[in-house]
Amino acid sequence: MKTSEDFGAQGEVPSHPELLDWLATEFIRSGWDIKHLQKLIVTSATYRQQSNLTPKLLEVDPHNRLLARGPRQRLPAHVIRDQALSLSGLLVEKIGGPSVSPYQPKNLWIEMSMGQKYKQSTGDDLFRRSIYTIWKRTVNPPSMALLDAAEREACWVGTKRTNTPLQALTLLNETAFVESARKLAERILRENPDDPVTHAFQIVTQRTPRPDEKELLTQGLRDYLAHFKANPDAAKSLIKIGTSSVPKDLNPVELAAHTTLANVLLNLDEVITKE
Amino acid sequence: MNEMTRRHFLERSSHGLGSVALASLLNQSLLAERSRTLPGKAKRIIYLFQSGGPPQMDLFDPKPQLEKFHGKEVPDSVFNGQRLTGMTAGQASFPVAKSTFNFKQAGQSGQWLNSDLLPHLSKVADDISVIRSMHTEAINHDPAITFFQTGFQLAGRPSIGSWLSYGLGSENANLPAFVAMTSNRSGQALYDRLWGAGFLPSKHQGVRFRSGKDPVLYLNNPEGISTDLRRKTLDQIGALNRIHHQEFYDPEIETRIAQYEMAYRMQMSVPELTDVSSEPDSTFKLYGEDARKPGTYAHNALMARRLSERGVRFVQLFHRGWDTHSGLAKQLTQRCKHTDQATYALLTDLKQRGLLDDTLIVWGGEFGRTVYSQGNLTPNGFGRDHHPRCFSMWLAGGGVNPGQSIGETDEYSYNITKDPVSVHDLHASILHLLGVDHKRLTFKFQGRHYRLTDVHGELIKPLIA
Repeated sequence: MKTSEDFGAQGEVPSHPELLDWLATEFIRSGWDIKHLQKLIVTSATYRQQSNLTPKLLEVDPHNRLLARGPRQRLPAHVIRDQALSLSGLLVEKIGGPSVSPYQPKNLWIEMSMGQKYKQSTGDDLFRRSIYTIWKRTVNPPSMALLDAAEREACWVGTKRTNTPLQALTLLNETAFVESARKLAERILRENPDDPVTHAFQIVTQRTPRPDEKELLTQGLRDYLAHFKANPDAAKSLIKIGTSSVPKDLNPVELAAHTTLANVLLNLDEVITKE
Repeated sequence: MNEMTRRHFLERSSHGLGSVALASLLNQSLLAERSRTLPGKAKRIIYLFQSGGPPQMDLFDPKPQLEKFHGKEVPDSVFNGQRLTGMTAGQASFPVAKSTFNFKQAGQSGQWLNSDLLPHLSKVADDISVIRSMHTEAINHDPAITFFQTGFQLAGRPSIGSWLSYGLGSENANLPAFVAMTSNRSGQALYDRLWGAGFLPSKHQGVRFRSGKDPVLYLNNPEGISTDLRRKTLDQIGALNRIHHQEFYDPEIETRIAQYEMAYRMQMSVPELTDVSSEPDSTFKLYGEDARKPGTYAHNALMARRLSERGVRFVQLFHRGWDTHSGLAKQLTQRCKHTDQATYALLTDLKQRGLLDDTLIVWGGEFGRTVYSQGNLTPNGFGRDHHPRCFSMWLAGGGVNPGQSIGETDEYSYNITKDPVSVHDLHASILHLLGVDHKRLTFKFQGRHYRLTDVHGELIKPLIA
């Protein structure tokens, strides 16, 4: 159903009406059990198909209306941030409590509202799940808004999913993402210093890199190491970003180089996409 | 035309996958050709939003008769049962306050402009077309500014800049199609949604350029990552994404590769764009020395020229502080001092560069102000409340018939007596001047085709050359 916000006469006709009917009766039969329905859908053979396209599929069914392949979609804003925090070990999985105020560029609030200042959280509250981020409707949390989070000004049923240069800048440069890269680097260096590339790749993609991928990343890491060896001050600046403690026992040049590697990995299309 | 149809069209019309990503980048200009169905002269627009509600009778709508009404009550026949704001509805008395500033006829056209407050604008009176008969439905800031920005008083619809980004796309692949800038922090609050995309795809939302070292959010690399190193990492990301694309064939991956490249080009081009230090001294003579200081109206006006020059479709400035409930004389003098020269400079500058012919300039706020005094009518202390029934705006440049004043108001500058112009009419005319038929620029959402002008909007005939 393409127009999920409109099931009425002005909406689009669903691609599989019988399937929808069957799912509706199954939902009723299960006693309106939402979890049951979700489980049924995500464990179905249709949903679990590979999401690869082929030139033919793209030609015949560019938008996958006929469900000949699995869904391939960019992750929602809050999932992208939570994922980065989680992979790096920064995520604080505490449940409930008042809203928190994670990193935000300076003065955003005061430039727009009459004297209101953003009071950034400290410690664990910087790394809570994104659903706990304070939402000021007049000045949205910018990294969420840039990644298409609903604006909360009007009711949205559908999902917006765009692909913009500002999203690239956010994932490359925003403090939480850079700090996540550094903590991920630290994790790699501790868990598998002998083969950091394979290990890091496995953490972020859940698969082993192909030989050409591994070669590229290995060459990259070599370049980053050389770069920071020649610029040790830059290495120190990079690993200082964020508020979590910088380990004293790791070599700053190595940590910075691996941070750069992790920054690359957290920006891969595959990593921010469900496939 | 909705997004899906557009994409479908593009996917159909491009052969081979390599061209899909290209098409997704080019689709904006493709669409541009489709939306521009009228011979509009303007290619781009600079909208100088004066947030808070400038007083029309002190700037553009002279009322010499107020001299004899000064201090007397506004007659009931003039109020005609109007609902007032909570700020003055309870006043026991509504004394008329004449303008304490002087008007003069300016230019060959002999337009009446306030010569005390707008000495610079008066020099280009022949280039502007004043509308004295604007009216709006809202009496408070939020719904009124939202109405101007989106054509609807409640939040949630796309802003005018987003509509134009959607309809006409960008002329510069390295910069966003819609840029917003704000100045004067000490005024009414502004909100992200004023340049938001509403239900349009969010790539059409305005990008706010801020003052300071990060003009675009997250533009700068983190400390320690140099430009060279960033280039290296982007090459890696690109190469890995390409490998992945060979396996998955998803055109979204190609778009992502292209967007990362565009992000890099923005990193390269925006600092050059926002650094005004390369401007010759003559620029600062024209715009005023304030233009050197990021965050000022003058600086933003200069930025507006630099952005327009580079093909940004819609540049919108928001200058705050026109909400003069008290101490009007002093406040108004300040606002004009900070904006008049730069506004004049922008017009003059564009003209000198030959850009005024195809750049539309719009100046105005969200409503006007009352002829009666808010609070006691003291010479320096008095103020004016919000007034939706009539107010003035002006337009210049691309396709505008200049050197005239459109519409008339009564002798109190309270009600319109000739040629009323609604916000929808203004929107319809702005789109028209850009070559877009306001009835045909639509987006289907929740079962119906939406327009900026909804089901309203008549062209302001005398405005259009």
